[in-house]
Amino acid sequence: MAHVHLEDGALAPEWVLLWSAVAGAMVALALFMLNRTTITTRKLAISAMCTSVGFAVFMVSIPVFGGVHLNLTPLIGILAGPALGSLSVLAINVFSAAVGHGGWGMIGVNTVVNITEVFLGYYAYRLLRSKADRFLSGLVGTVCALGVSAVLVVLIVTVSGIQDSAATQEQTFDNMAFIAVVNLVVAVIEGLVTAYVITFIGRVRPDLLADAERALRPKPAPTPAEA
Amino acid sequence: MSRRSYSKHIPDFRFITHFAETGSSPVHRMSPWTKVALLFFVVAFATVLTEPLHLTALFAATLLFYASGKLPIRVLIGWFTFPVMFVLTIAIMFVFTEPGTDLARFDVLGMSVGITDQGVLVLAKLTARALAVVTFSLAVFMTTKYAHVAHMMHRTMPGHLATVFLLSYRFMFVTTDEVTDVLDAMHSRNGSLVKGVARQTGMFAGIFGLAFVHAFERAERIAKAMESRGFTGRLPVADSCGRPSARGYALVMSSAVLLALAAYARYFDPVVPGWW
Repeated sequence: MAHVHLEDGALAPEWVLLWSAVAGAMVALALFMLNRTTITTRKLAISAMCTSVGFAVFMVSIPVFGGVHLNLTPLIGILAGPALGSLSVLAINVFSAAVGHGGWGMIGVNTVVNITEVFLGYYAYRLLRSKADRFLSGLVGTVCALGVSAVLVVLIVTVSGIQDSAATQEQTFDNMAFIAVVNLVVAVIEGLVTAYVITFIGRVRPDLLADAERALRPKPAPTPAEA
Repeated sequence: MSRRSYSKHIPDFRFITHFAETGSSPVHRMSPWTKVALLFFVVAFATVLTEPLHLTALFAATLLFYASGKLPIRVLIGWFTFPVMFVLTIAIMFVFTEPGTDLARFDVLGMSVGITDQGVLVLAKLTARALAVVTFSLAVFMTTKYAHVAHMMHRTMPGHLATVFLLSYRFMFVTTDEVTDVLDAMHSRNGSLVKGVARQTGMFAGIFGLAFVHAFERAERIAKAMESRGFTGRLPVADSCGRPSARGYALVMSSAVLLALAAYARYFDPVVPGWW
């Protein structure tokens, strides 16, 4: 796994409500960002396709280190943008909850983690792309995003605590640290996969990366008057 | 049903849809609004209840609901693999570190490790909670028609969000089949036996990259088709679902009362479950 899916009942009700409120605020921000721009039908369809491919992909187990599954959330952010990408990961979490891959009550906390990955993946890629090629930008951007999200999962579970457990925050942190280390290893694998995918897409359909590489587009030649 | 599914451990959306569209049990006839409200209460109960007996009763009730929908139990047991794996991922360390009486103790790499009774109890409770919700969730989606799900999404979600949900739900069947096709092609060439992290990573990246590019091309064609048919930013939903019946309202109200009692017992007075 690239991050931990919490099942229902893992956190106490007050924490479920708190993280759901945080996720609600993040989704509201994404909707606000979308409402400020014109959303074309093409963008909506692409976002929906990202959701369905993201859902299909994370059901595939890769036979590396005994089997891991990927989320490709930073890739979704790079392709669909942070706002539509946020809606995509929310949809993925809802579909996943419907089939038992993460709980309904945990959609909030899982969405907080995933939206963080989407935003960091998108902005890290954009920042790096002005200095590095697609492969390196995709690799480093994804590893950064997933590294932060792995730490975020540990912090969320440490702060919230596991329901019914008498473990102290230190003990919970120690227990979760092991999972964080595993997630960091998987983050590197996901970073490599994302980098390969971005390079592949950049070769066959570079226009799909246009939004994430907007700053790189050559400026139009100055008009004679401007010159 | 799907042509194939990835494994018997992962619920297949076509399989779920098949039962939803063709079933005729009392649960199928129940108002979708009632089922969604009950799903909310099951999630709330799983979060609020802490007594092992109450959690076991909740799990038994959800199994009964699932069975009332004339849904396949054996398939459900296979689908339990995923949630159990997730619970283990989180809780396995607590089995050893939770304070309590030792049930067993053994040496691992020179360290003495013990399994405590409280650790096992935490694991059991988390598993019961997860399985209760998964059972009920699957029962709801295996007994509710797509048109009704679409209507509820349309009524309850903001415009863009509802559109993304409805479109991605429709696309999911196509993309899962496509990814499965590519995986089958890989397996038929002994692709899964290739050793080495770099080779495996590159190969799967090619599969996922291809899936994304195909998905984009399909999305662009669909977008053009939608625009040519007058799409204005929100998917039209033709069908609607009926209001809950009197019995449905009664069921929801009694669940609400029980939840209020459970929450009161948890936060204010643990004696409450004793007298009611």
